[in-house]
Amino acid sequence: MEVTINTIFTVQGVRHLTDSTYIVRLDRKGMMFVPGQNLNIGLAGDPEKRDYSIYSSLEDNFLDILVKEVDDGLVSKKLKKLKPGDSIEVDGPFGFFTIKDEDISTKKFLFIASGTGIGPFHSIALSYPELNYKLIHGVRNRNETYEKDHYPAGCYIGCLSKDKKGEFRGRVTDYLRQNPVDPDTLCYLCGNVNMIYDAFDILKEQGVPSGNLHAEVYF
Amino acid sequence: MARKIAFKTLGCRLNQYETDSVTSDFINAGYEIVNFSEEADAYVVNTCTVTNMSDHKSRQTYNQVYRRNPDAVLVVTGCMANNHKEDLESNNRITYTIKNDRKGSIFNLLDSHFKGEIISPDQLKADRFGFGAAEKSIRTRSMIKIQDGCNNFCTFCIVPHVRGRAESRPYSEIEKNIKHALEFGYKEIVLTGVNIGRYERDGLNFEDIVGKVLEIPGYFRVRISSIEPEGFGDKLFNLFQNPKLTPHLHLCLQSGSEKILLAMRRQYSVDDFRIMVSKILNRIPDFNFTTDIMVGFPGETESEFRETCKVAEEIGFSHIHTFKYSVRKGTRAERMPNQVQEKVKTERSLIIRDIAENNKKKYRSSFIGKTQKVLVEKIDKTGFAKGYGEHYFPVRFKADELTQTKDFKLVRVNGLLDDQDFTVTAKPV
Repeated sequence: MEVTINTIFTVQGVRHLTDSTYIVRLDRKGMMFVPGQNLNIGLAGDPEKRDYSIYSSLEDNFLDILVKEVDDGLVSKKLKKLKPGDSIEVDGPFGFFTIKDEDISTKKFLFIASGTGIGPFHSIALSYPELNYKLIHGVRNRNETYEKDHYPAGCYIGCLSKDKKGEFRGRVTDYLRQNPVDPDTLCYLCGNVNMIYDAFDILKEQGVPSGNLHAEVYF
Repeated sequence: MARKIAFKTLGCRLNQYETDSVTSDFINAGYEIVNFSEEADAYVVNTCTVTNMSDHKSRQTYNQVYRRNPDAVLVVTGCMANNHKEDLESNNRITYTIKNDRKGSIFNLLDSHFKGEIISPDQLKADRFGFGAAEKSIRTRSMIKIQDGCNNFCTFCIVPHVRGRAESRPYSEIEKNIKHALEFGYKEIVLTGVNIGRYERDGLNFEDIVGKVLEIPGYFRVRISSIEPEGFGDKLFNLFQNPKLTPHLHLCLQSGSEKILLAMRRQYSVDDFRIMVSKILNRIPDFNFTTDIMVGFPGETESEFRETCKVAEEIGFSHIHTFKYSVRKGTRAERMPNQVQEKVKTERSLIIRDIAENNKKKYRSSFIGKTQKVLVEKIDKTGFAKGYGEHYFPVRFKADELTQTKDFKLVRVNGLLDDQDFTVTAKPV
């Protein structure tokens, strides 16, 4: 697969999901990628770049990335201010946080995300509509469940640590303890390193072999 | 009189391979290659920038040249030339700063220079695979570059920034390079690159490449250079049953703590690593594992460090290349909190070294009474031959009637020397 280096892409727009979370849409320019991969992005000419998972699906003729504004962030704050027609510099796609073709129709998947760690799972779920999966998403409040209506009924479980109006009240680790996972399930985890570490421990205790665990850490 | 050129290489095997290839260009053109400590018309320093220490050593090396011979042409290349290009270019002691992708054209640059034609480094051809097989006079084994760059972006690592994105060399070029090396008389081929396990080109992956290389006719063996524990599996493990593929892997662990591996953004878990090791040992029980371990990654606690020690002892790596973590500008770990004190890093590093020494002695002792097929590197004045067996540890034996180096000799291990490296002693069979 061809990797783009220092290539200028045009911004189509920025869609705000919360005060601090937004989707930046770019022209796709025919870029080939595997759902779950990420892009290294920065403003044109700016040496500061950050990795963001591709949020859009294979079918889309644009590229979406889901961005969380970071306090004192050198890139996220600039991305928030982008306007249609602005240029940004993109490297990628990169990464191996992807699912194998042969597993798509034969395996059961569990996706575990915290915050904007849901990004790669959105791309995977929308790209492979036949996928047998459950997505557990850990956030504080219901307004952070982002575009949960994009997933088929019963596939998305929002674990809200500070809000009673969700599918589950508590952290993703609480959900996993109360809902043991079938060891044959392929588990993909994306988000905060501590969440992933704790979830790894629980899944291993439940008998999920390490070969079935895949992680992408967000910082 | 032939012009004299001296080379110095710092860092990885890939750098060494590239220096060897450039050196061969000069030999073939009639230049005289001299030791780096001698007077020369030009000095080429192939630098490394992977840690602060590497930067320090690289700077020390090219500064030495200036002190020794301020009139000589000084070429600085390698990863430091990518990472600190502007600094190096503004240093008027350095004649040319050559980035990695133009390193293969250093001969053209210097040869033109001596003929009075000054070429700007930016005009040199950029080709990451523009390296031929090394002259046999340079090495005992021939390294073959199959891949360059890395897309993993481990949070501590500067390599994707200085070596660039991953790119795999076409198999036809690899095969040509190997056949050329075999024509030179090399008996051992080392497949090398930055992240060779992620080889991917024209529908071939790393396992396919190893399989195809093993099918090349000839009396030679194949060694796999340093590799990340990812991108391959049972197919490669089965290939180790082919006697042409040496039973040794330098499989980079970095940490035995799951939490630290996640924070390093490595692509495997400790369990994955253990499973990989056990699958190989099930096929070849005396397989030799060596590794890299990084101590003092940001946030590494005493208990996480102990986890690493435990894994190092359990797997019994016969050699551990221990690194102290050092901040690399532009990496994600640069912005991580809880940086570990230098003193603690040094203490941890010494502990790992002790474990490595014990492992090494134990592993090498287990070969007493067994045979090794040694590729003879040298025969010293006292009549002893030295080289590496297929398992990749140094073996010393009485040369007797043996006069030829760079060929195989079957020996039986009979002990270990009490030297710093626990060199294995043997007798020809």
